[in-house]
Amino acid sequence: MKRLAAVVALLGLATATACSSGSTNKSSSGGGGGLFTTIDVNRPGLDASAPANPYNPKGNSFSGFNAMRIAWVKNHLTDPNQALPGIAASWEIAPDNSAITLKLQPNAKWSDGKPVTAEDVKMSIGIAYTQGSTAFSVTPGAAGAAAEVTVVDPQTLKITQDMANPSPKFARGVLDTAVLPAHVWSGVLPADFWDKLKAARGEGADAEKARAEITTLGQKVLTFAPPKDVSAGPFVLERVNPGEALLVKNKNFYNAANVAPAQVKFLNYTGNEQIWNYLTAGKLDSSGFVAAPTDVMNRIKAAPGSEVIKGYSPVAVSMAFNQSKKPYDNVHVRRGLAYLIDRDQVTKVASPEGGTPAITTSGIHQKAAQAWIPDTLPKLEPYKPDVAKAEAEFKDAGLTKKDGKWLLADGKAWKVSMHAPAGFSDWLSAQENIKSQLIKAGVDAEVVTTTDYPLYLEELAAGKYDVGFWLMALGPAPYDIFQRLYGASNGWTNVAGKIEHSPAGKNGNWMGDPEQIEVDGAKINPGELTGKLNSATEDQAKPIMAQLATAANQDLPVIQLWDYVNNQFVNNSRFTGWPHDDEILRLGTGVLASGVWIQLGMVKSKQ
Amino acid sequence: MSDTLIPETGMSTSATMRRNFWLGVWRVMKRKPSRMAGVVIIVGFAFMGVFGPMFFPDHLPDNPNAITQPPSWAHWFGTDPQGRDVVALVITGSRYVLLSAAVTALITVVFGTSLGLFSGFKRGRWDTVLMRITDMKLTIPGLPLLLVLATVWKFGSPIQMGLVLGLLGWGGVARAVRAQTLSLRERGFIEAARGLGLSTKHIISKELLPSMAPYIAMNMLIAVTGAVYAQVGLFFLGVLPYESDNWGVMLNLAVFQAGAMITTNALGYLLAPLLAILLLTLGIVLVVDAMDEIFNPRLREE
Repeated sequence: MKRLAAVVALLGLATATACSSGSTNKSSSGGGGGLFTTIDVNRPGLDASAPANPYNPKGNSFSGFNAMRIAWVKNHLTDPNQALPGIAASWEIAPDNSAITLKLQPNAKWSDGKPVTAEDVKMSIGIAYTQGSTAFSVTPGAAGAAAEVTVVDPQTLKITQDMANPSPKFARGVLDTAVLPAHVWSGVLPADFWDKLKAARGEGADAEKARAEITTLGQKVLTFAPPKDVSAGPFVLERVNPGEALLVKNKNFYNAANVAPAQVKFLNYTGNEQIWNYLTAGKLDSSGFVAAPTDVMNRIKAAPGSEVIKGYSPVAVSMAFNQSKKPYDNVHVRRGLAYLIDRDQVTKVASPEGGTPAITTSGIHQKAAQAWIPDTLPKLEPYKPDVAKAEAEFKDAGLTKKDGKWLLADGKAWKVSMHAPAGFSDWLSAQENIKSQLIKAGVDAEVVTTTDYPLYLEELAAGKYDVGFWLMALGPAPYDIFQRLYGASNGWTNVAGKIEHSPAGKNGNWMGDPEQIEVDGAKINPGELTGKLNSATEDQAKPIMAQLATAANQDLPVIQLWDYVNNQFVNNSRFTGWPHDDEILRLGTGVLASGVWIQLGMVKSKQ
Repeated sequence: MSDTLIPETGMSTSATMRRNFWLGVWRVMKRKPSRMAGVVIIVGFAFMGVFGPMFFPDHLPDNPNAITQPPSWAHWFGTDPQGRDVVALVITGSRYVLLSAAVTALITVVFGTSLGLFSGFKRGRWDTVLMRITDMKLTIPGLPLLLVLATVWKFGSPIQMGLVLGLLGWGGVARAVRAQTLSLRERGFIEAARGLGLSTKHIISKELLPSMAPYIAMNMLIAVTGAVYAQVGLFFLGVLPYESDNWGVMLNLAVFQAGAMITTNALGYLLAPLLAILLLTLGIVLVVDAMDEIFNPRLREE
């Protein structure tokens, strides 16, 4: 009897699955040229049961499609506060960065017909506080945190910055905030939330308690599941199954008339290899950056209608040293290694399509460096491959060469042990190539992998590795660029606008540079200089950046290997009008640029 | 007189038996050429594992100008994404795979057989306790456990890998050997041995074990394939530390780094370790087939 019941249940399940897949097919073909197919590059693996909540790590909320932000911050080379309009149609930033006044879209409506008001935005800011965003942080003394949020009228809000520790990218932090419907989410925040927030920003035991309560609220926000998707974006979530998520056009969207696709389908994928398959088959209308080897890239380009738009990506990858481990505490060893590694070769093998070899170690992406430090850049040591120079540096460091192999100063064997997370094929490939280059030059080397990226970062921060790969030059804000080299991971923390240095091995300092380093014969404190960037204007920042670039170039806490290229894959068979402008090819963290292009009316249907 | 004669006759009988046995083996082998092929394959793999890496330098030469090349005369299975010869990678990588497989097989068989024999022969309380332990062991799913273990243990050496796989794999053998022992111990020849007052040691080592030898040997060979699949699978999934010439890592990189499913250039890189595994399995299957006939008189056609 039980067996019979099980069979019946299984059959029922099979029928249900068959029905659901059948209806999906129907809706896909029904859309005709109006169906836009893409993937969420930020999140492998669709989860059919995840809520439409932008803060949920698996949430079925696709930023730019069915999730809106106040505005869409651009990828400008130097100005972090530039953005494309989102829920805010326009905004005004006070000249001293002390406040931002937002004017909302006059016709903005939620998909259930209710208008989007300043109260919705205020509540969304409250939600952002529970997650600790850059502008909305309850951490005492955090840089660039907001002080007051005032609703001026139903279409206008004013947000002021706490000028005790201001940041030039305060406006960016405000604009890059998700907007949620207050009539759906209001239950998540308690009625006295804003009083609590005020208490949390004070000092003493009460403030501690209030902060803890807000952090607890953060957990509630992460798991909150709206009964159905209520979106202010161009699309609204229709349904999700493990294979795909289907979104339909939101007729109430303020710019609905210019939104080309009638439906959007997000395909499920688990790894890059699956995305390559979709792209070579010409299935995707758009996909964000995906690393691909040259052969695969050629196949993708050969797909009908396929186009690869190359743009600027403010990210570089470097080989970082743990200076608590010998011999990496010696700058001559680091320089010697820089002379041994042929970065052109590394990039050619590891990331020929997704990267450009670093011209030198400056701490800045080469494209941004042209804008920030055009005069200093040519003066920096390029570290072109040069075995003689490398040997001279090694000798300066006291290393000895015996039977063609370099030994440590104390005569012990030296093996450069490089670490990378297992799934990062381009990093692994690069390390394998570096290993080969080093072994040929008499430096023993090995490549060691860690199961996944979070564990890798944890072990790296705990100082377990000698050498590891490290993302750097994360623009556009100057502080963000240099804090990767002279920030918390190297001992300098910014607490309430004051820079403090922790010794190597303490408080997440795994790089272990000394507090003062010598640059052109003079001692400087690079962490303090980096801290200054947090409140400097563009013109003030330039000389500091030049100084820091010189410091990074001479001190080499890392060897900059290649600067990433932003490859956007699009297909012109069904839609056209793709932007080629660097600044909007890549938007804020987690934003799917194609959704923003669609909502702004750039993307046109071909039929 | 007779006292001196009997041992002589005994020795010559056993020598004759041994000769007859090897003659039988040869006859069985000759009957199907595929069996000879199996032996050649296994000997070849053993040779590759032991001596293969000696033919190559410690650090295989790479070539950044010839990455992921299709098969050619210079590189029979093409090159990997570092421009290294794929055949060289398969050969240098064979030592880890085969050594750990051998260790696994050894542990599975020694552990499983001794436990099964002891349990089946002693019966009673010992049997119950040991078999419940075996049952419990059998309920532990191997692969998920290995995935968890891999996060804490790095399996740097093939011996470690083999040890863990072996300790995970003896359950089936123990159960089967126990069943065989239970059936054999009731047979006439064991009863006769007991009646003659022969020691337990003699009965187990001279009477029981030889009758089960083919069975154990087959299990051992099958354990080799199981171990190869398990560790190649683990490396393929990327949960174990990366070693560029490991077969599983090669498969992983072929698919996820070189794009072997998309471009034909990386096909050789994907096929080489696969073919090696296939060939090894084939060799084992053919030898097992021969063994079956050698030890099972009923299958002999003569």
